[in-house]
Amino acid sequence: MDWLEKELAKALERKEPSPDFAAKLTARIESEAPRRSRLFHFPRWMPAAAAFVMLATSGSLAWRRHQGMVAKEQVMLAMRITAGKLNHVQAHVREAQQ
Amino acid sequence: MRSVGVLLLAALMPLSAQQFKFNLENLEKKASDTVDVSLSGSTLQFAAKFLDGKDPEEAKVKKLMSGIVGIYVKSFQFKAEGTWSQADLEGIRKQLHEPEWSRIVGVKSSEDRENTEVFVRTENKKIAGVAVISAEAKQLTVVNIVGDVDLESLADLSGHFGLPKLEAVPPKKSKR
Amino acid sequence: MIELERVEETSCDFATLVREHQAMVFSLSYHFLHDRDLAEEIAQEVFLSLHKHIADIKSPEHAVFWLRKVVVQRSIDETRRKKRRPQVALELVAEPAAASSRDSDPLLGEVLRRLIATLPETPRMVMVMRYQEDLDPAEISELLEMPLGTVKSHLQRSLALLREKLQRRGVGDY
Repeated sequence: MDWLEKELAKALERKEPSPDFAAKLTARIESEAPRRSRLFHFPRWMPAAAAFVMLATSGSLAWRRHQGMVAKEQVMLAMRITAGKLNHVQAHVREAQQ
Repeated sequence: MRSVGVLLLAALMPLSAQQFKFNLENLEKKASDTVDVSLSGSTLQFAAKFLDGKDPEEAKVKKLMSGIVGIYVKSFQFKAEGTWSQADLEGIRKQLHEPEWSRIVGVKSSEDRENTEVFVRTENKKIAGVAVISAEAKQLTVVNIVGDVDLESLADLSGHFGLPKLEAVPPKKSKR
Repeated sequence: MIELERVEETSCDFATLVREHQAMVFSLSYHFLHDRDLAEEIAQEVFLSLHKHIADIKSPEHAVFWLRKVVVQRSIDETRRKKRRPQVALELVAEPAAASSRDSDPLLGEVLRRLIATLPETPRMVMVMRYQEDLDPAEISELLEMPLGTVKSHLQRSLALLREKLQRRGVGDY
């Protein structure tokens, strides 16, 4: 890979969706599943939701870390954009001072 | 031709701030793409915990964030030149009205076709926020950092993203 | 009870698939459409569809292939439905704003993403598949049901166009 291809690979690195993506998906699955009689078996969505909750509980620390990393990346992006703009100002001020 | 405003960067003591937010709805409607970062309160504090103190870049940001209560960045991309107008830009500037806000530097470059202005918000003569407006032919970026903004650290940040360091310049006399 | 266990097993697989592949699905849509909200919506719909067809999924590899295929279809459909981008020949693609030099530009990644977003839909998707998913041309050809030569041609032309635009801006390592 040449320089451009490496930069493209970096630029197109996978990004995480919002931290509540899975929660929203669960909610949609629950709302779209047809209702069933609860007399002899659980509604179809309940095992899915229960499994999700089980996984969420057992993986809560990992998930929390994941959310934190997503938020951190947003902070770094904001700071990079700000630094870039301030750098533009600085470059021209320097030039004017010379 | 270039015209460059005088840079005023006083090393002011940080102070607590009220939240100020831009209204940029009219630009959002016109933009083909938007980079939108909006972080405040507990989310910001949460994010700060994951900044690595051993990484020089992240350590600087972590230090800067200690007094910040909100970071809002919106960068609008437009399909064609002329989509945003001077009236749009003026609409943004008008939200940064005196006496709370003052423009401390403006840089206009016909070569880069980029105009950048930096504003500070003050409360009791201390910095309570920083705003940056950057306008290019097909891009408008508005940065709003709310809170105890340490301008020295913010200026120092540019040296840690592979950029030349922003140097403080002696302040000019206040007009007020 | 047996039914419950069977459903639980499927549901665990589904949850695992979501956790493992949500970034892939979201990113494919995001890098294609360059619209975060829309990409999330499409990613949600893809996984809802997966949930309905979970019984058809034969293996983890099949799940990945299925997800990629569906998100590509949905994203392209969305582009056509909303006419988000007029079809323009590669050579006429307008230049988005770019910074002055690679070494001092923290937004090069964003510049590249925006350049990609201005490509016509087919080469755009080929480029995203190549550089986000690291698929080789043969894999892209199979996924997009496109002749291998066409995939290679899209890659070559798109890279040439990007190089030209970046070089014009003084960005690059040539």
